[in-house]
Amino acid sequence: MKPDPSLLEQLDRTWRDPPGLWGFLTTVDHKRIAARYIVTALLLMFLAGMLALDMRWQLSVPENTRMTPQLFNESFSLHGSTMLFLVSVPLMEAMAFWLVPLMLGARNMAFPRLGAFSFWLYFGGVLTLWVAHAIDITPDLGWFEYPPLSGPAYSPGHRADIWAQMITFTEVAALAASVNVAATILKMRPPGMTLARMPVFLWAMLIASIMTMFSMPAVMLVTSMLIADRLVSTQFFSVAAGGDAVLFQHLFWFFGHPEVYIIFVPATGFVSSIVETFSRRVLYGHSVLVLAILSIGALAFGLWVHHMFAVGLPRLGNDFYTAASMAIAVPAGLQIFCWLATIGTGRTWFPTPMLWILGFVATFVIGGLSGVMTASAALDLQLTDTYFIVAHLHYVLIGGAIFPLFGAFCYWYPKATGRLMSERWGKVAFVLIVGGFNLGFFPMHLLGLEGMPRRVYTYPAHMGWDMLNQIATAGSAIAVTGGLVFAANALCSYWRGKPSGADPWGGSTLEWATASPPPAYNIPFTPRVDSLTPMWNGGAPLPALDGIAIDTREVLVSSVTDAQPLYRQKSAGPSIWPLVAALAVSAMFIASIFTPWAIPIGALPIGAALTGWFWPNRPRAKIGALEAAP
Amino acid sequence: MRVRGATILAPVALLALAACTNEARTLGPSLPQTAPAGNADPRVPAYQANLYQVAQGGRYFMWYGCSGCHDDSARGAANLSDGRWRRGGGFADVYRAIARHRPAPAYEATVPVEQLWQLTAYVRDLPAHHPEKRRRVTLDQEGEPQGSQWSGPQ
Repeated sequence: MKPDPSLLEQLDRTWRDPPGLWGFLTTVDHKRIAARYIVTALLLMFLAGMLALDMRWQLSVPENTRMTPQLFNESFSLHGSTMLFLVSVPLMEAMAFWLVPLMLGARNMAFPRLGAFSFWLYFGGVLTLWVAHAIDITPDLGWFEYPPLSGPAYSPGHRADIWAQMITFTEVAALAASVNVAATILKMRPPGMTLARMPVFLWAMLIASIMTMFSMPAVMLVTSMLIADRLVSTQFFSVAAGGDAVLFQHLFWFFGHPEVYIIFVPATGFVSSIVETFSRRVLYGHSVLVLAILSIGALAFGLWVHHMFAVGLPRLGNDFYTAASMAIAVPAGLQIFCWLATIGTGRTWFPTPMLWILGFVATFVIGGLSGVMTASAALDLQLTDTYFIVAHLHYVLIGGAIFPLFGAFCYWYPKATGRLMSERWGKVAFVLIVGGFNLGFFPMHLLGLEGMPRRVYTYPAHMGWDMLNQIATAGSAIAVTGGLVFAANALCSYWRGKPSGADPWGGSTLEWATASPPPAYNIPFTPRVDSLTPMWNGGAPLPALDGIAIDTREVLVSSVTDAQPLYRQKSAGPSIWPLVAALAVSAMFIASIFTPWAIPIGALPIGAALTGWFWPNRPRAKIGALEAAP
Repeated sequence: MRVRGATILAPVALLALAACTNEARTLGPSLPQTAPAGNADPRVPAYQANLYQVAQGGRYFMWYGCSGCHDDSARGAANLSDGRWRRGGGFADVYRAIARHRPAPAYEATVPVEQLWQLTAYVRDLPAHHPEKRRRVTLDQEGEPQGSQWSGPQ
């Protein structure tokens, strides 16, 4: 279907943002919001990466004096908290924000203003942690701050509060984002895209969002309990008063383990999209992949205790969690073999995004194998709190999530910017990052087996750890260099890259149907879908559904399983209220570090902001069920 | 992003100017080896205005059994949280009152100098502490060897 230029002009008038600063502050365009998320998170990844390099410098020789123990504590706490809460999870959400409506052929997310609110609140969390760091109130107890160490007796001041409150910020933002993604995927699919014809990417994002909804409340609850213990002297974690310090660990890891998969599952979505496109065939075992992701999502909630084997829980309990942890290797293995089968049987070519997938498979499998080792309660008692764990967690998080993310970045970069990244520099960055990473982290397995504990700021000379530490430091320096090459490539290509056109890779899913970069209204018409790979229809134009308004913001709502069109829904336009509401919530969160009165008093501006947000913008009904009483 | 950055940077710059050093934590060899030279000793703020040093003083307050007599229900001179100091409330005054404690023992014979500094900072800080917060902290520290529970070096 060839759209008429006057139609495009009208759509653009309807969907574009107001110009200038006001447009910047009020936008509800999912692409702009997602781009902000991604830029902020990538900047933070750079900063936290610099912290890592600094720590590697400190550890490169025994008894180094680059860092004091306190500075080392602050560095790894800031590094871990930033990477887990402010980089990995938000980046995955941002990719969903950017891609889900495009892949659905929809004009925006289901709740456009909630998306804007989510970003502003996330940004509040970023500022909370990093402004506090700038004025030397850096959390210093690691990325999980167990009481009693983080309780009122052993953590005077506000370092632990900053950490706990940063989590509240990011988790509210994550919940807002997840609800939005799940509602969009379930209710805004184009006609014909039944659940059975939904791309694996959308399944992955849907499942990760639902996991977020189930797991994040646990960590918000537990950090709120910690703040209450510290601020108003409640006794949740005070053993002497009948509280339970282990409760913190249970609630934290009930979130913390699913979180690992909330980061990994979207990555499986990236991998599936990239593998399908570059293998030139429909994914091998589509249903197996979807079911594997589903079972990872379910199993993820049943194995949090493997983070707590050394706590001293009952033996039988530990055995159960050992079994559950090892079981997750089955769906993860199925996924890997489905991808390999697709690659092996397709007409595969290997540009940069595909190289990242190979890097992912190799690295993630090593991380998975060390995961099976640490899943054994008996072996874990030896390995826990050593560098073996540091190696394992970086192999699964960087290898399992960040490599696919880099691949996804290269794959969808032309869609976002309209330009191709340099293949040559992309390959250089790939070799440096994957090589440097493996050189940097593989020796840590050995260091851990040799007994080097994690979170130590230095070590004596005669331990025999010098050489491996130096290799690790060299490896991380190489990987960071590769990261800089990657960033430089992305920046230069933004202005100088070759124009890509709408569909440079011959992609299989709907986001490639629209222009690059996509216009404010995403796609001129609502497509109709009749296969898993709607773009691979032999070059015929996509069938389209008409009837959605173009002079006002309107989206199509469809049924959950069959994607039958149900009704047309008004879609919210630009508004300043999400920002105002986020500011009010931020003020309340920050003030509640200092006084409990912040909660009742701070609720008033939040109420006012939400009232403004939900102020009715159409006259009262004169007829029908909602008819106004005279 | 740039405009928002400017609006945010202004208060941040203000905060940084008023930078709170009371959160600073220096872990290392003890600084003071001697008693304070007077209430205006330049080393005083590093202890009195530092939350970590005050909190360490609070732990020693229980380890050395101070809390046995100086608890919340103590009366007269033994009540340390009423803000009235019989032998002067200056840093050196309180330090001396602990070091040459009357009645005996004089704690300078058993307590290292830096811990005396931390104890002094804690004692002078006590009037600002809420009783319920103090009780909560005590609960967390119940497992530590304190006062008569102490059974020798580990």
